[in-house]
Amino acid sequence: MKKGTKKFLGGLLAAVMAVGMLAGCGGDSGKEDGKEAAAGGSDVKMAIVCSNSGQNDNGYNQSACTEGKEIAKELGAECKIVEPVNGVPAALETLAEDGYNLIFSLEYDFDALIKGVGGAKPIAEQYPDTWFVVFNDNPNRDDKGETIHDNVISVLFDVHEASYLAGYLSVYMNENMDKLFPEGYSLTPLDQSRGIGFIGGTNSNGILFYSYGFIQGINKAAEELNVNYDYYAKYDAGFTDPALGSTVAGTFYESGANVVFADAGVVGDGITSKAKEVGKIAIQTDANLDDQQPGHVLTSVLKITGVPVKTITQAFADGKINEMEKEQSYNLASGATGITDLAEMSKHVADSAAWDEIKAKTDEISKQIQDGSIDVVNKQIGEEFDPATCPHVTIKTE
Amino acid sequence: MNFLGNILYDSVYHATPILLCVLGGIFAYKANVLNIALEGMMLAGAFVSMLVSYLTGNIALGYLAAIAVCLLIGLIFSFMTVTYKGNVIVVGLAINMVVPAIAGFVLQYMESANIRLTWKDVSDFKIHIPVIDKIPILGDILSGHTPITYLSFIGIFFIWLLMYRTKFGIYVRVVGENEDAARNLGLNTNKYRYLAILLGAFCCSLAGINLALERMVLFTNNMTAGRGFIAIAAIYCGQGDPVSSALYAIVFGAARALAVNMGLYAGPAAALFDVIPYVVMGIVLTIVSMLKYRNQKVRGFH
Repeated sequence: MKKGTKKFLGGLLAAVMAVGMLAGCGGDSGKEDGKEAAAGGSDVKMAIVCSNSGQNDNGYNQSACTEGKEIAKELGAECKIVEPVNGVPAALETLAEDGYNLIFSLEYDFDALIKGVGGAKPIAEQYPDTWFVVFNDNPNRDDKGETIHDNVISVLFDVHEASYLAGYLSVYMNENMDKLFPEGYSLTPLDQSRGIGFIGGTNSNGILFYSYGFIQGINKAAEELNVNYDYYAKYDAGFTDPALGSTVAGTFYESGANVVFADAGVVGDGITSKAKEVGKIAIQTDANLDDQQPGHVLTSVLKITGVPVKTITQAFADGKINEMEKEQSYNLASGATGITDLAEMSKHVADSAAWDEIKAKTDEISKQIQDGSIDVVNKQIGEEFDPATCPHVTIKTE
Repeated sequence: MNFLGNILYDSVYHATPILLCVLGGIFAYKANVLNIALEGMMLAGAFVSMLVSYLTGNIALGYLAAIAVCLLIGLIFSFMTVTYKGNVIVVGLAINMVVPAIAGFVLQYMESANIRLTWKDVSDFKIHIPVIDKIPILGDILSGHTPITYLSFIGIFFIWLLMYRTKFGIYVRVVGENEDAARNLGLNTNKYRYLAILLGAFCCSLAGINLALERMVLFTNNMTAGRGFIAIAAIYCGQGDPVSSALYAIVFGAARALAVNMGLYAGPAAALFDVIPYVVMGIVLTIVSMLKYRNQKVRGFH
């Protein structure tokens, strides 16, 4: 073969490969399903990029997808659901390129969008006419606290308020264990010890603010009843190994804790499994997982992503998205966070009159948080928690 | 249970899956086939045991199906690497990647993040040995475990027996040490490699069943969390000797148990215990290979 031909062939090969790679990126950047046909008339083209747990997770993603499709239908707009298989940045880029102008990204993955990776410009800067909505953190701030990109909205959930309710509920459940769970459980009796545990995936503000809200809720109820609780916490259980979660929960239950709050993804599944094994109680997170181990999951602390998706899409359709805050907090009052309706647990309690009373009390607290008469420390936005404010809770480990 | 008892019990709990993988990997190691697919096979065992139990409502069927599927994966692995001389690392990696992918697909299809059996309790699997149960420390170590846990510890002895006291064990070792010599003896080397790998697959399936079905009645994807790779490290540290390799697996279990239980008193600092086995392993591997090559005068062949 002549040298020239060789070079030509080499170049051709390289070109083919480059095209192939590009096609690959575009092609499998997302599994595309749940595409609602655009009925025309609306210039809203919205897309939802799911997090790792996928659109059928019965909670976090599913709520956003269901509400997203619904509002898209109302507006006659298009709503595309994407489960990224090639990373979130690739999905965002492809969607923006395809002309989607309102993109929700549920995964905790912001660098490419805000800062840009690998020398590329930030995606938000590349597509200034596209609105991006990210969840659970506000990455869109520089060191001085100034907003970096005007087309990015950060959504935060005030889950610490819901955790507060869960803590409050736990104490009342525990104090009334004789009435609620006379048989079939092996809860540590009150005259031996009063303990509650918390297991988180990683030691970060996103986990700690659940725990701090939880502690304050426990303290509130313990104060009302004039009792003292021990608090066991582990913040580094990871997000993958349920067997680890199970044994850690085991040590907490063994030490006399009757309730353990799991905030660690599938590690929480190991914790609820342990709760069933030893006849005690757990609390789950994000989605309504009350039926995971029926009778052993007291409640779940929820993030209802559908509420912000709906609110922001509506604002976009009305042309008012420019006036919206770049950092939005959704609290109990907004309905975007809270605890479950306790329907599953209601099937398992023996004394439903006492149970209803506890539920009513918890609702009352929920109202007080909403109207501002109870203030819960929000670690997520940097507020510091002082254990001295919770004299009825003794923090044993953290 | 007292504090010490908890640590001992949890040590056995965390050591078992690693131990089984070690026992499974040893023969392949001795036959000179590096089986890095231990992790994937264990996950397959965990997944299939839970899935079949969930679908059929029959635990025994779950056990059998898990073993069958793992043997099948072992067969595919041997077919590709032994018969067709594929690269063991590539094939092993492929198995490690395809298993969680399939499990993830099925979970997606089931619209669930996990598989669990509401009708089965973890305590159903525990065997309480009557008299020993009452003895304080000994009872915690020996009693209240699951069938496969007992099997795994008895297995150390059987694997030792199989490796050093049977023709099969000797042949496998010969195949690994010097394939040409084995051929000249008229041994069917491929047969022994197949058997070594299949034995490994069998042990991995038990490890998976132990982890998911027996211990938690729960499957979540990727729940093996690197235990298969820890087992490979343990095999290398013990140089494929059943007893010393098993010892490393137990060190891992004990360290994990200490990290978990000491957490009640020491907080996050207890996680340092998780570091111990890796430090020990690094030191041991270094010393072992230093001793091994110190007096080595022959070049090339080792």
